[in-house]
Amino acid sequence: MPGFAIRTEGLKKNFGAVRALRGVSFDFSEGLLHGLIGSNGAGKTTTMRLLAGLLKPSAGSVRYSLDGRPAEFAQVRPGLAYMPQQASLYPDLSIDEHLQFFRALYRLDAATYARRSKELLGITRLDKFRERRAGQLSGGMYKKLGLMCALLQSPSVLLLDEPTNGVDPISRREFWELLYALAADKILVIVSTAYMDEAERCSRVHLLDAGALLASGEPRAVLKERGAANFEEIFIKGANG
Amino acid sequence: MNPTLKAFIKKELIQTLRDVRMRVLLFGAPILQLTIFGLALSSEIKNVKLAVFSQPGDTAAVRLADDFYSSGWFKPAAFSPGEDPFELIGSGRADAVLLMPPGGLSRAAGRGEGKMQLLVDASNATKARVVEAYAKTITARAAAAYGAPAAQGLSFDVRVLYNPAMESALFLVPGVVGMLICLVTIILTAMSLTRERELGTFETIVSAPLSDGEILLGKTLPFVLLGLVVFSLVLTVAHLAFGVPVRGPLWQLFLAAFVFIITTVSVGTSISTLARNQQQAMLGGFMFLFPAILMSGIMYPVENMPPSIIAAAYLDPLMYFMRLLRSIMLKGGDPHVFWTNVGALALMAVVAAGVAYNRFRQTLN
Repeated sequence: MPGFAIRTEGLKKNFGAVRALRGVSFDFSEGLLHGLIGSNGAGKTTTMRLLAGLLKPSAGSVRYSLDGRPAEFAQVRPGLAYMPQQASLYPDLSIDEHLQFFRALYRLDAATYARRSKELLGITRLDKFRERRAGQLSGGMYKKLGLMCALLQSPSVLLLDEPTNGVDPISRREFWELLYALAADKILVIVSTAYMDEAERCSRVHLLDAGALLASGEPRAVLKERGAANFEEIFIKGANG
Repeated sequence: MNPTLKAFIKKELIQTLRDVRMRVLLFGAPILQLTIFGLALSSEIKNVKLAVFSQPGDTAAVRLADDFYSSGWFKPAAFSPGEDPFELIGSGRADAVLLMPPGGLSRAAGRGEGKMQLLVDASNATKARVVEAYAKTITARAAAAYGAPAAQGLSFDVRVLYNPAMESALFLVPGVVGMLICLVTIILTAMSLTRERELGTFETIVSAPLSDGEILLGKTLPFVLLGLVVFSLVLTVAHLAFGVPVRGPLWQLFLAAFVFIITTVSVGTSISTLARNQQQAMLGGFMFLFPAILMSGIMYPVENMPPSIIAAAYLDPLMYFMRLLRSIMLKGGDPHVFWTNVGALALMAVVAAGVAYNRFRQTLN
């Protein structure tokens, strides 16, 4: 896997009068499992869309690098996978049909597809439900299918926008185990979440509040630096301060 | 074919055709609509109650009355010879009264003065006009059949071409075929694209390494194909159920349909770029469809419209398709009519596709 890194500088995004991001600088170069933590409306989805190249910043920049060398978006795009907030699946297509459609989107050859789909169906334990339509899957299985579609192309960067939103605790844990496995494979994973307890599962956290960056760093170091027992406290202090 | 395009087409077809309700809407509804429109929009009027006032022994009048009744359009009204013809119509016991010339039709026609009087209940103007047209047709036929000198005395000069029986189905059904294709392709395309946005799947597709053209073609080609399938289906029903002939070559018909469908799918795509959800897409589709149908000449001749509407009708793709369908199906497909109208449609298809592509790109960006 090539060494991927993304850095942003003074990133701003306005939607009319709404200032979704107010000049944030992220460093997604160190560590492999990054958490973008914040409540609803903090600017997590906007950040994800900017990183995925779906939005253009109002000001500031998003810089990509590959093995330490600066790279254009077009160069990194084939290795970048994005799973939107709603896990973006077709309720009337089965698991198999989803995989085949995404195989075509990412132009995978037959051998790679066969290997990857078998591997992913095994890891996610969805192999017994291949004929089941996405609309009939449980919340956890639905998210896993979304993840599988994103992973089919063996990406180097994985952007997951609130992947565990609305998922039961057991499925959430399973989902995080999958993310650990991905990070162990040297994939740069950036996960956004509104669940504060998930922040501690990340190797790096970036706390977003109302479009501004509250803190960034290794989870325990951030807690220590802020003198807080947990991440909720930091947000409450931030809101009151 | 490009495997990505193939996958898009497969996905769209699965999504559209898997749901039983969608299959019914796509294939069942056009057949039902065609049947209902074909029957309900009929300008053909039958069972007109006709009273023929004639003198005893007037054989020409009796023959003419028989011609009227055997036409299938008229049936005898119940009346007695001494009754007031106006009262007959006023009371609704007759829709029309045919009065023979003084001295009887046989003698008058012999003198070359076969002027009859037709009283028609015009409380329904359309019906009255149709009854008048029927009467003229029957009298003209009768005059031709009797030969001179009777013919000289009957002053009707009616000629009906291409639809001698004046069957409204022949005129209306091709129009309805065009209207249904327009409806299916515009609404389906507009809704499919907005559904993709509503589901959030659009973001996934856009974030995949595909070109804008590939995404647009992938999303629209399936509806061009479905439009052609629906066209074949309604054409078959129009032929089998309504006896609408296809006198011109099939290739003309399908080439016209193909160019027209590209235009309508492009219109659907443009609508989808403006709509935020499926309801808006559907509403937008109908906002285009209603004026397009009214200005197309399906129901009312374009020539009868005010000049400003006629000018607007030239921008209506359905009007050209309508002309093409009627020309190919009923008249055998005159090459000049075909190429002028297909040319106009092709120009519209290029412009509509260009606008759709630009709007689509703006949406992506």
